[in-house]
Amino acid sequence: MSRRGEAWMLLAGFIICGSVWAAEPSDPYAAGRAVYTKWCAPCHDPGVIHPGTNALTAKYQGVKSGVLLEWKDLPPELVRHLVRNGISVMPQFRKTEISDTDLDALAKFLARNTPAQ
Amino acid sequence: MRLPPGVSSSEFAAVVAEFERAVGKQWVFTRDEDVDLYRDAFSPFLHEAEELVASAAVAPSTTLEVQEIVRIANRRKVPLYPISTGKNLGYGGSAPAYSGSVVVDLKRMNRVIEVNEANAFVLLEPGVSYFDLYHHIQERKLKVWIDCPDPGWGSVIGNALDRGGGYTTANYRNHFDSHCGMEIVLPNGELLRTGMGAIPNAKTWQQYKSGCGPWIDGIFSQSNFGIVTKMGFWLMPEPEAYLRGTVSLTRYADLGPMVETLNYLENARITAGFPDIASPLNGYPPIGQLQVWNETGPPSQTDEHRKLLSSAKLGYSPELEAYGVKSGIPYWQLWLSFHGPAGVIEAQWQAAQRHFAKFEGAKFRVIDRVKLPIDPAKADQYHEPELGVPSLRAFSIGARTPWNPTPSKGHMWFSPIVPRTGEAIIEANRVFSEAARELDMPLFRSFSLPACFWERCFIFILATPVTEDPATNKRYREGFKKLIAIGGQHGWGEYRTAPVFQKSVMDVYSFNDHALQRFQETLKDAIDPNGIMSPGRYAIWPKRLRERRS
Repeated sequence: MSRRGEAWMLLAGFIICGSVWAAEPSDPYAAGRAVYTKWCAPCHDPGVIHPGTNALTAKYQGVKSGVLLEWKDLPPELVRHLVRNGISVMPQFRKTEISDTDLDALAKFLARNTPAQ
Repeated sequence: MRLPPGVSSSEFAAVVAEFERAVGKQWVFTRDEDVDLYRDAFSPFLHEAEELVASAAVAPSTTLEVQEIVRIANRRKVPLYPISTGKNLGYGGSAPAYSGSVVVDLKRMNRVIEVNEANAFVLLEPGVSYFDLYHHIQERKLKVWIDCPDPGWGSVIGNALDRGGGYTTANYRNHFDSHCGMEIVLPNGELLRTGMGAIPNAKTWQQYKSGCGPWIDGIFSQSNFGIVTKMGFWLMPEPEAYLRGTVSLTRYADLGPMVETLNYLENARITAGFPDIASPLNGYPPIGQLQVWNETGPPSQTDEHRKLLSSAKLGYSPELEAYGVKSGIPYWQLWLSFHGPAGVIEAQWQAAQRHFAKFEGAKFRVIDRVKLPIDPAKADQYHEPELGVPSLRAFSIGARTPWNPTPSKGHMWFSPIVPRTGEAIIEANRVFSEAARELDMPLFRSFSLPACFWERCFIFILATPVTEDPATNKRYREGFKKLIAIGGQHGWGEYRTAPVFQKSVMDVYSFNDHALQRFQETLKDAIDPNGIMSPGRYAIWPKRLRERRS
């Protein structure tokens, strides 16, 4: 194959990849979910071994779940406030850890089951 | 905009502009709401004016940018306070030792430069957390383990520089000891590599620690002589199997001989895993079970048992001992763990049992026999760090749980090093419990046991809570300082402490009219004549601020 032919193949590969990526109805919460997985899941995933979940379960005494992912009353503003201010033994998170863009995506993901006000 | 001490607003605006040119405007933080993110989340000065706070933060992404920041700070005489990830919440977090310093946040320097599986080492940058390194290794299916402390979100480099510890085998648990080679930006902006890294085009930077001539790596830990931008660490090749067993003993008087036997077994490398001492009869858990106790509650006790405990002195009464024998509750329980080929670790466990067979009534039990690698999804069945897996379960300490309805606002670790003897455990309990009662401090109020992170010594690691009430926090701060001084009178010293207590701790290290501190100041004046690097960290003040020492 000529070098030009190789170049076309490469270019075609980019286009195909690009179009597949763009056409797929991707998870609208993928970015926020990734932030959650990296920064929140170790404390807030389901189960007693996660101290955030254990704390919220004890706090709400069965009135609502201790699992953030199940909440239906978590407005994005509250997520943004708690991440930047911390609560109880959870510290605040810096912008080098969770950027404002990441935080918006996280807030959108965690608020996905919360009706807009 | 907050200002560093002695720097005018126009001067500081010029410094900020220079920082912005060096790293990009979006990585210089001066608005209060952004700078507040660098506050110590567990500060014992909560709601008080004396809280240590930064004036700004700057976040470089390369060593060249770090050098430029340091040169700017030197020209302008602006104090810097580098942090790797700033996640050591019980030891000061990300707040500077000198209020008004500019935090140099290294979180963006997060590259794992090399993991060498064949010779089991890593070279990385300070923004890499234990989680990051663990995932890096897992994704590439490399057969090496990390050694991590309980919270896995901290920096590998930062924890080593703070001389933190972990839970796998003795060769790796001391994180500073397991490093090999450093790259440091000195306070004048010059770049230094230590050990074999001092050879241009070095071939063994992560393979031979000391190079030739004086070995200086130690002065860059718990200090303020430079910014470490790369560091190497030796890693443990993934072991084939893991065995954990307990030795249970029945008499109070067994404590001393038990420690002596443990010391022999550990120093002879018959056991190399993290040894963990518990007292089921005193209701004191092994560290490896602490997270489970926090999550699901401690084992229940009978009324008779509780009554006996309340009248015991230094964890002892003849009646308590008799109750333990009658009820089959061990006085002491030593958890031993072994990593290696199954046949080898079975033999080591057998040898350990043989050495404990001299104790009347000794009982042995295997808790786990695990073929490695384990499925990471099942790591939560264990104390994860003992299997080289990072987690955040330790944050159950002080958090709200069904067993703790009143969460704290954080905690300060009181962590003195004491000798590896049973006598020292009893003596430290006697001294600190008397003092704690007198000072109305909430630690050493019941019989406490130390941890065995380091060979040849014990370390007590006890949490003093931070509360919402400034008066209570003040009492705890003052009490904390008195406990440090009382420890010093007995020849014991902290292994590490938050900036708030660094002067009190270093005052204990006072042999020959503070010769150590004076030597450190001589170094400081030579290495950092403008006094810009972390002034006051571990009570090392530059000449221009030396009056703050007292």
